[in-house]
Amino acid sequence: MKRLLQLAAVAGIVLVLPLAVKSDTAMTIIIFSFLLGMLAVSFNLVFGFTGQLSMFHAAAFGIGAYATHLAMAYWKVSFWEGMVLAAALVAALSVVVGAICFRFRLREFYFAVVTLAFSEVVRLVVLNWNDVTNGTLGINLQVKPTLWLPGQGLVKIDGTLMWYYVSAAALALTVLVAWRLVHSWMGRCFAAIRLNDELGDVLGINVFRYKLAVFVIANVIAACTGGLYAFYLGFIEPGFLSIDQSLAIVAMVLLGGRGAVAAPVIGAFVLTALPHLIHFGAEMRSIVYGGILILTILLMQQGIYGAFARLLRRRAPMRENHAA
Amino acid sequence: MLLEVGNLTKRFGGLTAVADVSFGIERGEIVGVFGPNGSGKTTLLNLIASIYPPSSGRIVWNGTEIQGRKPHENAAAGVVKTFQNPQLFIELTAFEHLLIAGHLMLKRRLGWRRVATLFKRDAGNAGADLERRARELIRLCRLQDASDEPAANLSYGEEKMLGVAMALMCEPQLLLLDEPASGLGVTEIENLEGVLRDLRAAGTTLCIIDHKVGFLGRLADRAISLHHGKKIAEGTPEAVLRDPNVIRAYLGQHHEHA
Repeated sequence: MKRLLQLAAVAGIVLVLPLAVKSDTAMTIIIFSFLLGMLAVSFNLVFGFTGQLSMFHAAAFGIGAYATHLAMAYWKVSFWEGMVLAAALVAALSVVVGAICFRFRLREFYFAVVTLAFSEVVRLVVLNWNDVTNGTLGINLQVKPTLWLPGQGLVKIDGTLMWYYVSAAALALTVLVAWRLVHSWMGRCFAAIRLNDELGDVLGINVFRYKLAVFVIANVIAACTGGLYAFYLGFIEPGFLSIDQSLAIVAMVLLGGRGAVAAPVIGAFVLTALPHLIHFGAEMRSIVYGGILILTILLMQQGIYGAFARLLRRRAPMRENHAA
Repeated sequence: MLLEVGNLTKRFGGLTAVADVSFGIERGEIVGVFGPNGSGKTTLLNLIASIYPPSSGRIVWNGTEIQGRKPHENAAAGVVKTFQNPQLFIELTAFEHLLIAGHLMLKRRLGWRRVATLFKRDAGNAGADLERRARELIRLCRLQDASDEPAANLSYGEEKMLGVAMALMCEPQLLLLDEPASGLGVTEIENLEGVLRDLRAAGTTLCIIDHKVGFLGRLADRAISLHHGKKIAEGTPEAVLRDPNVIRAYLGQHHEHA
C-alpha cells in the first residue's frame, strides 16, 4: 500500500511537472535524463544485479540508433518498426558476443575488456562505413517519429512536451520491466550468478543461459533507447558507441546506486544536469566524471540511493528497539 | 543400480587424487565413504557431481553415462551435492537462499511456461508451492531463527544446515554430502542425523563422506573406504571399520575422536 502511494506520487509529479517547469532548457535536460536513465537502468540489470561489467552497452545503444534510422531510410518502415528491427539486430549480435564471452567463462575484468573490444570493433565499422553511416560527420535526422493516440490518430512526436511524455512513458516501461525481472525467479538466478555462480551451478541454475539472457535483454532495451535518443536529438554520430559513453553509463549507475532498480535514474539526472549547472568544456567533463566516479566508489559504494536508504534505515531499527 | 562408478581416476598434475575407483549405489541406501583428509573423498564426490571431469573412467546414472556433464545438468538429473565449507549467497537471507535453490523445482513444474510467469506476481501457484516447501525445510532443518537473517549472521552449524536445506530444495534423488557433520555440536549432529534418516525414509539415496566414524557408522547401510585415492575396503560399516587395511591405513589415529 505504502509502495503504491509512493508510486502514485512519483507518477503524479511526472505528469504535472511540465506545468511547473517553464524553461525549455530544463525540460530538455529532463528528457535527456529520462532517456539516459533507461540506458542506466537496463545496464544495471547486467552490472548491478548479475555482477557482469559489460562494456557493450553503449555499442548496443549506438547500433540501435543507427539501425533504427537505416531501416527507416532503406526499407521505408515506420520509426517503431525500425526500432523493432534494430532491437532484433542487437539481440542477435548480443547472443553472439555474449555466447563467446560466457562460453569462455570470462569474468570481471576479462569480460569487461572483451566486451569493450567488441564494441570498439562495432564503433570502427560505424566510423569507416562512410557510404552508410556518413562516418565521423554523423547523420542529421529530419524525420519525426509518429505515434498513434486514441482520439487523435497518428501524430508526429515533435516539440518538448510530446517528447517529455514519450520519454517518461518509455522510462516507466523500462523500470517496470526491469523491476518485474529482478523480482521474478529469473532475478533470483541473476542474484545467484552475482553472489556465487559456482553454488548456483550446483543448485541447477544454468549460469550460461541466464548470463546470456540478461545480456540480451539489457542490450535490447539499450537499442530501443538508442532509437528514441537519436530521433529526439535529431542527430547520430559514432560517439554514441564510444568508450566515453560506456563510462558515462557506468558512472550514472555507480552514482545513482546499483542496489535498486530505479536508482540509476538519479545518477542519470545528476550527470546530465551537472554540465548545465556548472559550465565546463568537453575535456573538463571527463575529469568531472572521473572525479565523481572515484569519490562515489570511495565514499558511497551504494550510490546516492544507497546512502539515503541507509540514513532511513539507521533510524528505523531504533524505533524497533524501543518497541521491543 | 542407481549410480555406478567404473574405474574412476582423477589426476591433478602429478597427483592422483582418485585412482581406479569402482563402486555402486542402490536406490534408497545410505553409502558412507570413510577416509582422513587427503584420501580423495571430496574429489570422488566432486567427480560424481560433475564439478570437474574425470581423467578416465565412467559414471553411470540411471543407465546413462554422465561424466563430462555440467553441475547444473547433474542437479537437474537429480544428483545434488553439498559443500564441506558452506557455500552461500552472502548478502541474502536463509529463506532467500532456499528460493534460489528452488529453481529446479519451478523448472520441473512449469518447464518453458515459467517464462510466461516472469511478469506475473510470484509465478502463480508454482511460486506459492516453492515458498511453502522453503518454509517446510526451514522448519525441518531447524533454521527458524536464521530464516530472515542475512547469511553473514548465521552460525557455522546453521550455515551447514542451510547447505543441506538448499540441496533438498533441488529435490535430489541422490544427495552427496561432503562432511556434513564436521564442525557441528552434539545436538546439531543429532538433528542432522534425524533429518538424514527422514530423507532415507522418504526414498532419497544418500552418499556421505566423513571422517567422524561414529556418526557415519550409525547412519550408513554400506561403506567404502579410500586411502591415497584407492578403494581399500567395502562392506557394512562394521566390517569396513574392522578391516585390517582400514585400521592400518588411518583409523588408528582417528578412532579416539569418534
